Amino acid sequence: MIQFHSVSLDYQKDATALQNISCKVAKGEFVFLTGPSGAGKTTLLRLVYGALFPTRGQVLIDGQNISRLTRSQLPFLRRSIGVVFQDFKLLPNHTVFENVAITLEVLGWDGADIGKRVMHILRQMGMESKIHLTPQRLSGGEQQRVALARALVNSPKILLADEPTGNLDDANKQQIMNIFKEANVKGTTVVVATHDRRLIEQSHYRIIRLQGGQLAGAEEAGNENAA
Amino acid sequence: MKTPRNKAKRPTMSHQGAGGCLRYFFGRAVSNLRQNMVVNAVTVGTITLALLIVALFLLLVVNLENAADSWSERVQVTVYFDRDLTPKEQTDLKNRIQALPGTANVTWVGHDEALKRFKGRLKGQETLLEGVSSDVLPTSFEIALKKQSRSSEAVEAYVSRLKTVPGIGEVQYGEEWVRRFNTFLTFMRLVGALVGGFLLVAVVFIVSNTIRLTIYARRDELEVMALVGATRLFIKMPFLIEGVLQGLAGGLLSLLLLLAIYQLFLHNAGNFLSFNPASSGLAFLPAEFMLGLVLAGALLGFLGSLTSLRRFMADT
Repeated sequence: MIQFHSVSLDYQKDATALQNISCKVAKGEFVFLTGPSGAGKTTLLRLVYGALFPTRGQVLIDGQNISRLTRSQLPFLRRSIGVVFQDFKLLPNHTVFENVAITLEVLGWDGADIGKRVMHILRQMGMESKIHLTPQRLSGGEQQRVALARALVNSPKILLADEPTGNLDDANKQQIMNIFKEANVKGTTVVVATHDRRLIEQSHYRIIRLQGGQLAGAEEAGNENAA
Repeated sequence: MKTPRNKAKRPTMSHQGAGGCLRYFFGRAVSNLRQNMVVNAVTVGTITLALLIVALFLLLVVNLENAADSWSERVQVTVYFDRDLTPKEQTDLKNRIQALPGTANVTWVGHDEALKRFKGRLKGQETLLEGVSSDVLPTSFEIALKKQSRSSEAVEAYVSRLKTVPGIGEVQYGEEWVRRFNTFLTFMRLVGALVGGFLLVAVVFIVSNTIRLTIYARRDELEVMALVGATRLFIKMPFLIEGVLQGLAGGLLSLLLLLAIYQLFLHNAGNFLSFNPASSGLAFLPAEFMLGLVLAGALLGFLGSLTSLRRFMADT
């Protein structure tokens, strides 16, 4: 479970990124985090995987206060969280296979097991024929699927996605959304930050809305216009 | 509530133990070097050129030191006798002088030898000495000093000790020349240390900035590794090994280049420059200097990577 208790974050003295955010994401839930650009969606996600720490308040992951983690403990938290971004963040000089395998190498998996697991997830993503290519030779949708494979290859408890479909066409958007849904069905808690209304309206998941760094409401999808 | 540390066990490395981990990191470093071939070639090239400058400076220093050594052999003490010594007195005195600390070698110069040397100095005007008997010139002991006893103070101390030997004659050692020579050496060493110091700072700056640029170009990799839960050591190790390998390669290449320059241009330079008349040409770097240069390259690579990683990993 992800919990935010009165979370505020100031970048500088008079530049507040988040203000008094309190909300929860239950274990196994699928949530959309929405709001206009600059609302604080990315900042809120970064707080979950410990790239940022709140100035005030607490962020709890399964009851563990992120701010209390030492620098050496943080990697172990991150191993249970998969993250995907709008710009994919793939390693340009590494092949598709290597980009995905890196997650398991970090966990210390044996070479043969890595090969089996990576091939399995890439098959699921429909990328098994492109394992030898570098990201520059892939389309946007393919790159995002590789990024998703990297995030999901070790079956994380939480999957965070920051505008994952921002650079994709409709067909690819749908494909990526289906992968999120499958991961969620398998028990992964999914938080997707997006301002794509159509993406949200096509689903029935809960929405957490941010505006100017503050919580503007939480409701079921499909009622977004009523908020 | 348990901490993530309690929940998530440290992963078992695919290769167990420190050796296995090192093998893994080494393999990863080599694979990274291959994947970033152009950037790494530029880095190794820069390190090579920077270390080549250091190597050339060291070559200069080594040969200047050799020259100074051969010049300092001229620092010697002469004991003149205004009376003829019996062979026994001569042997006794020679033994006593030889036993003094700082003595390297003692040579007896008799009347005939003294005259021969004098004639040698008056080359072309030997006729001036016709009719001059060899008895006119005093006999002497010429004392060569050990290397550590050639400084002004050491020579003075040696002469004081020498004068206490019973039966010793008049002692001369060209004190003004010794003083000037030692002042010159001190000055040269000071200039060498200053130039060397500046050179070292410049090389450290160039190498660390070059490595910083290569790591900067791969900062996404640092971010991604941190994102998937790599520990700081796991992220750093391949980069540090890459830095050491780049430094080693740069060190070895600079040595090879120096050897090529030495063989092509400098090998016989001493002959026509009369730079070091004691030897047939410029000497190459001694083995310990060569080893030092390669290790310095490795150390530079390591420290350059370490400082750059610290900077770029601050946000991860």
